[in-house]
Amino acid sequence: MKERFLGGVVIAVTMAAALLASVGAQAAKETLVVDLVNEPATLDPHRQWNPDSYYAYRNIYDNMVTRDSAGNIVPQVATSWQAISDSVVEFKIRDDIRFHDGTPLTVEDVVFSVKRIINPDFKSPQLGQFNQITDAEKVDDSTVRLTTNGPYPPLLAQLVKLSIVSQAYTESVGDEGLNRNPMGSGPYKFVEWRSGVKVSVEANQDYWRGAPPFAKAEFRTVPDASTRIADLRTGKADIAVSLNADQAAELASESSLQVLSTPTERVAYLMMNTLSGPTADIRVRQAIAHAVDRKLIIDALLGGYSKPVNELLTPAHFGYGGDSQGYPFDPEKAKELLAEAGLSGGVEVEMITAPPFDQRIVQAIQQQLSDVGITMNIAMSDMRTFLQRRRGSPDEFGNLVFGRWSCACQDADGVLFPMFHTDSIWSKYSNTDLDKLLEAARTSLDEAERMKNYAEANTLIQAEAPSIALYQAAAIYGARKELSWQPTPNESLFIIDMAWQE
Amino acid sequence: MRNFLIKRLLQGGFAIWGVITIVFGILFLAGDPTLLLVPEGATQEDIDLLRHQFGFDRPFIVQYWDYLLGVLRFDLGQSFVQNIPVVQIIGPRVPFTLYLAGASLLVAVGVGLPVGVITAVARDTVTERILMPIVLVGQSMPTFWSGILLILLFAVTLRILPSSGAESLSSIIMPAISLGALSMATFARITRTSVIDEMSKDYVRSARAKGIAVRAVILRHVLRNASLPVITVAALELANLLAGAVIVETVFAWPGLGLLAVQSIEARDFFVVQAIVLLGSIIYVVLNLAADILYSAVDPRIKLHAGTA
Repeated sequence: MKERFLGGVVIAVTMAAALLASVGAQAAKETLVVDLVNEPATLDPHRQWNPDSYYAYRNIYDNMVTRDSAGNIVPQVATSWQAISDSVVEFKIRDDIRFHDGTPLTVEDVVFSVKRIINPDFKSPQLGQFNQITDAEKVDDSTVRLTTNGPYPPLLAQLVKLSIVSQAYTESVGDEGLNRNPMGSGPYKFVEWRSGVKVSVEANQDYWRGAPPFAKAEFRTVPDASTRIADLRTGKADIAVSLNADQAAELASESSLQVLSTPTERVAYLMMNTLSGPTADIRVRQAIAHAVDRKLIIDALLGGYSKPVNELLTPAHFGYGGDSQGYPFDPEKAKELLAEAGLSGGVEVEMITAPPFDQRIVQAIQQQLSDVGITMNIAMSDMRTFLQRRRGSPDEFGNLVFGRWSCACQDADGVLFPMFHTDSIWSKYSNTDLDKLLEAARTSLDEAERMKNYAEANTLIQAEAPSIALYQAAAIYGARKELSWQPTPNESLFIIDMAWQE
Repeated sequence: MRNFLIKRLLQGGFAIWGVITIVFGILFLAGDPTLLLVPEGATQEDIDLLRHQFGFDRPFIVQYWDYLLGVLRFDLGQSFVQNIPVVQIIGPRVPFTLYLAGASLLVAVGVGLPVGVITAVARDTVTERILMPIVLVGQSMPTFWSGILLILLFAVTLRILPSSGAESLSSIIMPAISLGALSMATFARITRTSVIDEMSKDYVRSARAKGIAVRAVILRHVLRNASLPVITVAALELANLLAGAVIVETVFAWPGLGLLAVQSIEARDFFVVQAIVLLGSIIYVVLNLAADILYSAVDPRIKLHAGTA
């Protein structure tokens, strides 16, 4: 269409460019270029916790354990692990891993990495994910012992995110040095970080899991989604992250490009205040649950990429049951429930929200609620005010909030405990039965026992409707057609799992 | 002259202090960033601990005073997102923004001035009727839109310019045009008005009466006199370019201060935002001073003394 708009004048130029491009494409793929949204905040793996940082640094480091494509936790730096007691686990460490400077990765490095991230003075934003670990010590040259503050079932799930740094290197360059010049044992070696432009890495040909697929890789900073798409179309980039359904539709029409998408461990929810206001009445909560048409939201606003779920977990989580019935879309039933609650004349509720949340969905919910006689006022504020109300007392909270929760641990404990336990600042629900179930599941190392606890918890949450699950959010990437890669639910971008087919 | 400079510098310092204070106050009111740094589901203890480690639990006046003392010692603080001194973050970005602002100014003046003169001299002709709408379009198109159009045309369709980034020499072309177009229109309009104004003055008629060619009158006399308002506008426009760079840098992924500002605000990286604002206010003050000094150079009738301000 654009060609037509430009007319015949440009055809010659375009053909010449296409010819040049095809000549270029015949050479083996040397450099993989990734368009990120923001610049990595830091390349120190123990510090910043955001996708743009870990997309890059996870390729430079090896992690304690990792997940296979099916989502199971499998060995990486640790080859095996054994519980010595409820709060002590011993890990065997591989002896054939070398850092990029040639020194071997040792038990001391693992101990150092754990102690570094759990030291409060280090100020890691990830501290809360690791501070159940109280100690790390060397047992012998191939064994490290981690002690937790009581039984801690998500330990392995958290260790998926623990990158191992070299003690000697970190101590010699300091924290700032490690951030600007990271050195790990992973498939790619750090080359250069040009501030605001890109992070460049090159293949670690001696990598213990085999040589990586591309000789080099670059992580560029391209905040504007239209520009990321233009980069893909011109071949300047091979992968672009963080696209929405509309942008994916734009890509799908291009023969040289493809859309790669995966359901993530991020679950979208509509949470209700059970402790204050009209939503303290279970009938109002159930009416709201019946009034929301998730299918319409997914199909019309999310391009069908996201999947509906009936519990506050996704199939990517430990603890997901998959047998909850949820609340089917039924506006008549919603009106009946409201009438039962004596609110047939209408009721007003307040939804708190902030700009990072998809306002189209907030407005769709507003419309759907108004169809059954619920007036939803949208209280939009800046992120700080929002977070204060979100975490605040039931009276500050308002009545509803739409959000997308990820604990980045793929374990029900990281979602249900903070969301529903009486003691959690994020919870607006209090039920001693549920508290007991969540506590039992948090302190048991018996998987069958935990599954049973979470099944009961899900049944309770389903009945009480303190929150309803909307959908399992999808991550959408755009890529050149030649790239073959299966994105994972934990939103990582491991280049070693990718391949290029001309 | 010396008194004037001292007074203006003091005023400038006062303005900069005011800007620092206001921005610090706004950022403080916008909340401490601990909440945005911790993962979802963090407990109150996690949040409190981190807040204390960063010192965000200290009273406003203490944090503010610490910051002011730091600025006086040229210590702009430490980015708590990247954990390195702010200067190291800002430093590499400055040349990119200066480069972009310079190139845009070149586009703006290089196109705007001649267009202004031509449309002034060739009033009510076909040339004017063709040029003026172009100026109007340049002024009306928002940069985020013109930027994407340029990318679609020159990068995606014609494939002659890179679609984003700052990795090659030609990377500057589209951002400079996109950013310069706005100021170009301003320069064209001001130049045109100014030239028309001068053309109607007696000295032009006298010069023409003496038999000097129109071209010579314009180049030698009119332009010099017409340049006064243009200089004022240039100083203001350069400041506008720095503001416009925020959008243009985002669209073209140009690694300058504008892009850094947006990202730092999103990340609540206080001290980085502060430093960019500080730098911006210094540039603004310096540019205005430079414009005043240039005035007297161009027009000796304007004497710089303390009262001019």
